[in-house]
This record gives sequence, C-alpha cells and structure tokens, in this order.
Amino acid sequence: MSEIDEAADPAALIEAYYDAGWTDGLPVVPPSDASIAATLAAASLQGHEVLGEIPGRNIEVIADKAATNAVMAGCRPEYMPVVVAAVKSLCEAAFAYHGPASSTGGSAMVLVVNGPIARRLGINSGNNAFGQGHRPNATIGRAVRLIMMNAMNTRPGFLDRATLGNPGKYAFCFAEHEEDHPWEPLHVARGLKSHDSAVTLIASNSVYQVYNQLAATPEPLLRCFADALGNAGSPNLRGFNETLIVFAGEHADILKTAGWSRGDVQRFLVEHTRRRVADYKRAARIPGAVTAEDETTWRHVFERPEDILIACAGGRAGSWSACLPGWGKKWTRSITTRVEWRET
Amino acid sequence: MKLFDPTSKPVERAIKLAPRPASPRGLRLGLVDNTKFNSDTLLRKLAERLAARYHVTVSATNRKRSPSHEIDEAGIAALRAESDLVISGIGD
Repeated sequence: MSEIDEAADPAALIEAYYDAGWTDGLPVVPPSDASIAATLAAASLQGHEVLGEIPGRNIEVIADKAATNAVMAGCRPEYMPVVVAAVKSLCEAAFAYHGPASSTGGSAMVLVVNGPIARRLGINSGNNAFGQGHRPNATIGRAVRLIMMNAMNTRPGFLDRATLGNPGKYAFCFAEHEEDHPWEPLHVARGLKSHDSAVTLIASNSVYQVYNQLAATPEPLLRCFADALGNAGSPNLRGFNETLIVFAGEHADILKTAGWSRGDVQRFLVEHTRRRVADYKRAARIPGAVTAEDETTWRHVFERPEDILIACAGGRAGSWSACLPGWGKKWTRSITTRVEWRET
Repeated sequence: MKLFDPTSKPVERAIKLAPRPASPRGLRLGLVDNTKFNSDTLLRKLAERLAARYHVTVSATNRKRSPSHEIDEAGIAALRAESDLVISGIGD
C-alpha cells in the first residue's frame, strides 16, 4: 500500500487505482483496512490463508488479496463466502485454469449460485437474471474477474489472450430459481444436498438466447436448443463439449407439464444435437473432402447426458431461454463447490 | 488515505535448468504434442528437418491430455530419461 496526496478527493483515489492498472475498466471501490478485515471475517478467513493455487503458473491466491479485490468490486462483506467458493473452483485441477482463462476464445466465468445463501444475499434468479441491476450478481462476478486479473496474473493482452472476449467477462453471476423448478436444483443434481449452498463454475464463450413461442411440447422446443448448440461455428466440435442451458419460466413450464425429467431433456439433447459430417466438412470444421458416407454419418456434439448442465432462472413471462456453450469438456470441466457458510 | 495493492506476483520457485547442448548434432530428441490442431504435423516436420540437418533421432514423444494440462510426472520422467533435447510449446 502507498500514500497518495489527493486523499481528500474520493475521485482522485479512484483515479489512483486506474493509474496503477488495477481496474477492469470500471471505477473500483477503494478498500480500507476496515473493509478488508470485515470481508475476511465474513468468510472466517485469515489474511495469509491460501485459497487455492495454479501450479503451472506459480500462482497462489491469498485471502487478503482476494478480499481486497472483492471490496474493489463493490462486494458487501457477506458476499465473500461465495467469492471464495468461486475462486476454489477456478483452482480445481479439473477446471484446468490456464486454458479457459487464457484462450483466444475469451470465456466468461459463469457462476450459478444455489442454496440458502443465494436467497439470503438476494442474488437475482428472476427477471433479467443475466442483466444489470442487482448488486450481488454484478459484484460477485466482478470480484472473481478482478481476482483473476490482479491476484492470478490473468491480464488482457498478457495471460488473457481473448480475441474478442465477451461482456460476461466483466461479471457473470446469477442464482437458480429453485422455488419454481421442474426438477431438483443444479447443485443437488451434482451431488450436494438441497440445504447446501454452492457455486457452479463453467467457462463459456458466449450466451445465445433461444426463442420459441409456439412449442407446446418438449420435442419441438428442445430441437431449437439442439440446433443452436450444433451450429458449425461452435467451439470444440472435435472433442465433445459441455454446455449450460438455462430454462426460463415458460419453457420450464412446458417441460414440467409434460413430465419430462432432467435426464429426459439431457438424453434428448445428446441424441439430437448433431450435424452430418458432410456439413461440418463443408464448413471446414472437420478436415478433408466430403465423401458419400459423410452425407449420412452424424457427428454428435455431446457425449454424455451429464455434460449438459441444466439450470432454471429468469422471468416467468417470455419465450426465452439460453445456451451457454462450455469452453470445452475435453480441456476443462465445470466445477461445483460448496459454499462454506452458515445461516445465522 | 492508502492504496491497497490487489496484485500478487507469481510464487518464486527454484528451477534447475539442464545444461544447454553446444550443438544438436546426433542428440536424442523428445517431442511434446500439446494437441493443438496440426501440432503433430508441425512437430513431425521439425523433427524431419533436424534429422536431415543434425542427425537427431526422435527418442520420445508425449501427447498431452490437452493444451491446458501439464505433462504428468511419468511423462516428464520418460522425457528426462530418453531425451537430450525437447521441443514443446506449439501455439495457434
């Protein structure tokens, strides 16, 4: 830490963080000893604790630095347990941080929060769940990106080599709408208890919204998702993929009314998310000349039902849902981490 | 008022480098294929040129699980035992 002369002017202090190169382009909240201490305390952390490491990069994420970035992002102290769980997810070996963090693909680190902490913190799961307007959604996601930039050495143009990036790289955090869900919530589907709080992390290059206002049964509705996920420009057609699908109210209702289980939806999409090899060859996504056999040979995008993560969020009204294709199952796996937190 | 530095530097670890060979002539060559598209082709052509010019022989190859994953310990041990020189790090 250092002293600055313009101490009396908060804007000058904010400018000093810009000058140091420590922001994501938006103004940060200048931390203080008290705010950092409160943030650490809210997660029962000591400043020197190591939250995780990336061995291949010689990176250790220290609690004190994580808390500093969380304050800068605008987090309230009680958000910190969620931030910590997200950082632990980033540091899981199976997430293989280097790829999704540094790739030209420019992934957002998408955080789905489940359980009691989501409700306690007021993380938005309803209207505009991916959009602006809710402090925990905006600042928890932002804290994770600031930690990546500042404490994990993942800066644009250096170890973040995104060709375009995407706006979700600023922040991408939402809660699942557990109260009106066709199935068990995401974290329960991934092995935790319903009373647990959890963060699921998936690296995703893009969000595309899927629209269908006419479908009244699951099959035609899900064909729209299969079509979107199998497009010739999708990443990692070579090695199978993971994806997150977020069903909003009207589409979730169709699946619920029809009595389809989570597994039914997953199996349908594994079967139908495909293109003919000839289509991918014509688009130069598979090398080689098109053969007669290629015209009748299918290339599937997904290998296993569990590679399709399904969450529910968004408004009750509207015929919209979303696909968030993973950066690639072959190279990185989504991670669900329990949030260490007790409701008081 | 204070500025609080939110950054961390990489943890310093001692790395022992192997002595650099004075010449590649006649050495055993290890190849690390990181699975990037065409990396195997590029490495093979590099090895062919080195063989033609310096008479190196490909003694070990390692195909990584993915570009994001490190070489496992067994792979490192094999490269260390069987190679004098290793080529790695194909980008895109």
